[in-house]
Amino acid sequence: MTENNKYWRGIEERSNPELTGKLAENEFSNEVSSADFLGNDEVVESKTSRRDFLKFMGFSTAAATLAACEAPIVESIPYVVKPDSLTPGLPSYYATSMFDGMDYASILVKTREGRPIKVEPNTDANFNGNTNARTQASVLSLYDGARLRNPKVSGEDASWGDALAAAKAMLTDKSVLLTSSVISPALKTAIAKLGLRHVSFDAVSSSARLNVYEGFTGKRGLPTIDLENAETVFAVGADFLGDWGGQNLMAAYANRRKPGKGMLRHLQAEAGLSISGSNSDVRIKARVSEYEAILAHIYNRVIAELDRSKLSAPVRTPALRQDIASSVEAVATELISAGSGALVLNGLNTENAERLALAINLALGSKAFNASKFVYTANGNDQAAAELFADAAAGSVDTIVTLGVNPAYQTPLVDLTGVNIVAIADRQDETTSKAKVTLPVSHYLESWSDFRAVDGHYAVGQPTISPLFDSKSAVEILNSLAGGSETAKTLIQESAALHAGSISWNALLHDGYVSTTAAEVSMNGSMDARMIDLSVIEVMKPQSGFEFYTYTKTGMGVGENANNPWTYELPDPISRLSWDNYIVMSAADAVELGIEVAAESNGAMTGNTLNITVDGRILKNVPVWIQPGQTKGTFGLAIGFGRTAVGKVGNNVGVNAFELLPSFNVLSTQVSAAASEVEHGFASVQLAHTMMGRKIVNEISLPTFMNISHEKWNEKPTFETYKGPLSAFEANLWDDHDHETSHMWNMSIDLNSCTGCGACVVACSLENNVPVVGKEEVRRHRDMHWLRIDRYYSSEMTAELADENGIGAIEKYAKMEIPSESPDVVFQPVMCQHCNHAPCETVCPVGATVHSREGLNHMAYNRCIGTRYCANNCPYKVRRFNWFNYKGNEKFTDVNPSQDDYGRMVLNPDVTVRARGVIEKCSLCIQRIQLGKLEAKKDGRMLTDGEFTTACAQACGSNAIVFGDVNNPESEVSLLKQEGRAYHLLEEVGTQPSVFYQTKVRNRA
Amino acid sequence: MYTTSKLKRFASLIAVIALMFFSSFAMAFEGDAKNGRKLYKQNCASCHKLDKKLIGPALSGVTEKYSEDWLLKWIRNNAELRASGDEDAIAIFEEYNGSVMSAFPALSDQDIFDILQYTIDGDPKPIPTPGNLSEVAVAPSKDYSKQILIGLGLLLFLMISLLARMKNTLRLVNGQDPVSIIDEAGWFWGRLINNKVFVTLATIIVTVAFLNQLYWFLMSIGVEQNYQPEQPIAFSHALHAGENQVDCNYCHSSARHSKHSGIPSANVCMNCHMYVDGTEIIDDAGNLKYEGERSPEIAKIYAAIGWDAEERQYIEGYEQQPIKWVRIHNLPDLAYFNHSQHVNAGQLECQECHGPVETMEEMYQYSELTMGWCINCHRETEVQFEKNGYYQDFHEELTEKYHGEKITAEKIGGLECGKCHY
Repeated sequence: MTENNKYWRGIEERSNPELTGKLAENEFSNEVSSADFLGNDEVVESKTSRRDFLKFMGFSTAAATLAACEAPIVESIPYVVKPDSLTPGLPSYYATSMFDGMDYASILVKTREGRPIKVEPNTDANFNGNTNARTQASVLSLYDGARLRNPKVSGEDASWGDALAAAKAMLTDKSVLLTSSVISPALKTAIAKLGLRHVSFDAVSSSARLNVYEGFTGKRGLPTIDLENAETVFAVGADFLGDWGGQNLMAAYANRRKPGKGMLRHLQAEAGLSISGSNSDVRIKARVSEYEAILAHIYNRVIAELDRSKLSAPVRTPALRQDIASSVEAVATELISAGSGALVLNGLNTENAERLALAINLALGSKAFNASKFVYTANGNDQAAAELFADAAAGSVDTIVTLGVNPAYQTPLVDLTGVNIVAIADRQDETTSKAKVTLPVSHYLESWSDFRAVDGHYAVGQPTISPLFDSKSAVEILNSLAGGSETAKTLIQESAALHAGSISWNALLHDGYVSTTAAEVSMNGSMDARMIDLSVIEVMKPQSGFEFYTYTKTGMGVGENANNPWTYELPDPISRLSWDNYIVMSAADAVELGIEVAAESNGAMTGNTLNITVDGRILKNVPVWIQPGQTKGTFGLAIGFGRTAVGKVGNNVGVNAFELLPSFNVLSTQVSAAASEVEHGFASVQLAHTMMGRKIVNEISLPTFMNISHEKWNEKPTFETYKGPLSAFEANLWDDHDHETSHMWNMSIDLNSCTGCGACVVACSLENNVPVVGKEEVRRHRDMHWLRIDRYYSSEMTAELADENGIGAIEKYAKMEIPSESPDVVFQPVMCQHCNHAPCETVCPVGATVHSREGLNHMAYNRCIGTRYCANNCPYKVRRFNWFNYKGNEKFTDVNPSQDDYGRMVLNPDVTVRARGVIEKCSLCIQRIQLGKLEAKKDGRMLTDGEFTTACAQACGSNAIVFGDVNNPESEVSLLKQEGRAYHLLEEVGTQPSVFYQTKVRNRA
Repeated sequence: MYTTSKLKRFASLIAVIALMFFSSFAMAFEGDAKNGRKLYKQNCASCHKLDKKLIGPALSGVTEKYSEDWLLKWIRNNAELRASGDEDAIAIFEEYNGSVMSAFPALSDQDIFDILQYTIDGDPKPIPTPGNLSEVAVAPSKDYSKQILIGLGLLLFLMISLLARMKNTLRLVNGQDPVSIIDEAGWFWGRLINNKVFVTLATIIVTVAFLNQLYWFLMSIGVEQNYQPEQPIAFSHALHAGENQVDCNYCHSSARHSKHSGIPSANVCMNCHMYVDGTEIIDDAGNLKYEGERSPEIAKIYAAIGWDAEERQYIEGYEQQPIKWVRIHNLPDLAYFNHSQHVNAGQLECQECHGPVETMEEMYQYSELTMGWCINCHRETEVQFEKNGYYQDFHEELTEKYHGEKITAEKIGGLECGKCHY
């Protein structure tokens, strides 16, 4: 390089040599005067020098610091007249029931200082005395700030008197009352009194299935299932552990799935992977359009094997796809050999499918199929609704009164512009915003109501808090519209007098329900397999192209809690995604359409979207999730999302599936799809889909369990030492804690009972004030759930297979990562394992996490300085770090309920709300342990096993989680610890956890 | 406080004598009005007042209307008297719409005489005092330490001046120039600040002292010991818990059951203050504190709950106003404290933490309420194993483990973080 090289600052300088001098003179050419910069004459002219300014700053900072040392004045305001039943600091429980149009549950509501803060199952109740994730979450919907504050007329706030008068003036004999399913006798009385044409429909419809039973019995109800009497259950598209049939079968299922002789065998045929399908022993990947044909084939096999003289003719049915034909034959064989122990459940809302399922159950004499006791939680009538909408379009309806339905969202294709709407609703939703008159209805925890959800069960719902806003119970509103003036309580009392039998009013309120001796549903003669003429029906023809169906997600359900952050934050048990709905499709279809979903470098999942056309209706840029176990050619999309006017939490989350398939339809086969350019980010909490050949979830088959000693299939890791081989509990560097004296809390989690339903996760969030962090944070894997339910798929590649075929390690592990297209699915709840040699404790520089002599790993939030060494050192990855001040940071205003005065009322006052910058984790509900011990001390008695339990264990419908004191040799958890199935997670690490698991047993060879 | 001066006693004697002369019934009894007042408050005050009707008639002048014998019978068992057909007794019973007066068989004759004496004497009247005698009589005690210090300072100055003068005189005698005291001091100071040992030591001392002060200042932040805020009602624990011996748990009833001790709701106050309205309160000087009017402090309770003190009934449809007490004992949210744990299971006296509440005119925070304070108590306090079935197995196990040492809260896990922080 020569020395004379000249470098130009730009083309301009090269072309204009004079510029060089100017530039050198004035290096920073555009000097801005301080006056211009400050833009404020006062500041420029002020005599305050920079030094003075800093002095003042310093002084005021110091002064502010000192002033902050002064404690604020805290007021303590006692009651003026304290209610007898209430002691500040002690919870009161009220028995009531919850019904939201899909879920029905008998519950106990825990209130503190008059605020409902937790829902617990009412295990004494004779129907649905357990909770699921939606029931648990429903308490937060009470404190939803988006609820209507007062009645409205033409969009203006009005008094109840004016609003009711305005509504009454609109009602003529051309008016219609449109509701979701009504199971309240008192509400029915009020509806009858109102005298309007009454139509009801359900967002998740069972209308066609109901038509079948109505034809036979005259009652719009569905038969109940006595799962205790079943030996083999075959469910076709019925997610009976999730959302099917209105009956919570969780406890009965878990009971019958106890490993051993006579363990229930569970067969499932379905398109999308459901909770039930995940738990099944055999799963047939069927298309929705094949459901009827599958049932028809089984029916034909059944009647062929049984005495033909008592049965009707076979059904004409299309042939089955080759892939599934043999599996269906095998199922038929099993059902026939199970005889009266067999049970067929149908989830397809068509009359044919239900007739076939009914005929099979009757032909086999299924003992589990109870057609003399009906459940009424879904009793809508789609035909009636369709007629109503036709009449509305024709102009023969002037006013529609809506209650519990949202036609503008659920049936977006229906045009109701020519009709006046009187909305009895809890919020300014899609329908309500079009209403002339809006009458705010109270949340179920503020309402009087009654329920006949099933024959032989009558329940009363009582308010657990005064209405937060100017709202009324549904029954009172309808009664007022009918001209009545009674209060809701009077109306329910009157109704209870008619329906509750001899039980006293106070006893009824105390128990929450009463067993009634309802006249059994009487079948007229035709409800007999012989009489169901199936030879004439036309079975749905299986399709080969794409088909589209809708389903419900575990958290969202039918969408009643669509503004409830807990329902969004709860990851879907199968896909492990939160804050979204998406089209689920098989990997084969994804390849065909050019769809990819992959993790980014920060672990966040991003994938392509899809433009999908269903029956000529288009939705663009719908996210797609590649779902192992999804039947090829089927697209599923969850309902309840894509709301536009539900509130700040739920607005514009996901897409509205009803726009493609309105709620009356079950399936569309007119589907075309193409990948879109737009990408979509998912909030996924689990990237590893398989266990990579490790025994994280120990799983064996039933014959192994029955015939082989547990030492063989539940081998404990041992270490070679100079003392000989030692177990992970004996080979040990540290001194042991004393766990012999007093209590030693342990928890057993039965992986065989756990269905993955997520009730425990929501219950834990409620009990422990776990913050909601929203989609962006979950996407960064900063979810705060103390309890997660890991889901693993099986892979086609196994260690054994690799050994046999001589496959190398790299190829083996690469293939192991890929979940099978027809996977077995296992769920594993993981919370802090409360290790007795805890890796987190040894690395904390400030001693913020320490061990207790009762076997718990304590976490002192106020000591924590947030180094996160503990989280790094935790082999179970259960420690959560508060990256933000979720209760104050404006980034979380839309999602975190603690950010408004109403949402804060749900917080459990016995548990600290954690500050930013500290680690938190499962405490095994230490607040409950401490309270339980205290109650015993106050009474001066020994603790009894099962007296108290953790929030997750209490919420678990299948009793998979058992908590107790292992120093009490008679406690349930002590006995479970001795079980051959018991093992510790990552036992070989030597952490000696207080939580242990029970090996999963699948009922197949 | 009830005090009786000699003058007062003399006055009441004259009054008794006068009454003996002028009353229609000659009263032969002699009673102690002071004891009578006490008995009256205990037994009669809930239904009777001296000067007006309450549930029963006004009692002032009752001795003029009825004979001593009759009163003895009536008070001891009025039902019996009525049953015997006594016309006067039946008349009173009917006048008050058949409301039954309790029988007091436990009162001795002398007790009843004392009460009757009190109905004659009434509450002690204010004694007129010429001027503010008491203020003149009591000379304020003086503190002379300041003057002594100033005197000593002057003495020191004088001596230094003398010394300097003597030194200068000596210098003059030796033919040297005198040196002013200021120059001398400057020289001394110069030597001092050039002395590295001194400077180092001084720096260390000053720094340590400063850091020590800073440490204690910082440690005191958030410690509100002796915090004594002004309360909306001048409620005296000394009067209620001390003088009147009301059990703590009577008002703070949830302390036994709940984590909160509970501030009594106004209806609990009304259990007593429906009858006790402050008209009879006597101050230290023996005067009626509110000159026979209702206490303005008690009136605040009435205003809160809506009690019509004249009509003696609750006002219907009254918009009740809760009393906004200022909370004195504030634990941070991160610490879980349960009263019932300590009061019921631990069998601690309230005073262990709250101090001599029964002597506090105005409530204040007695203890530090710091974690160190909690921990210290947990280290020292023995667990109440006795008669508590909960511990029946653990007690033996623990005794064995600790070889008979005393078993404190610490030894059953009372120092573990998670026991209070969750």
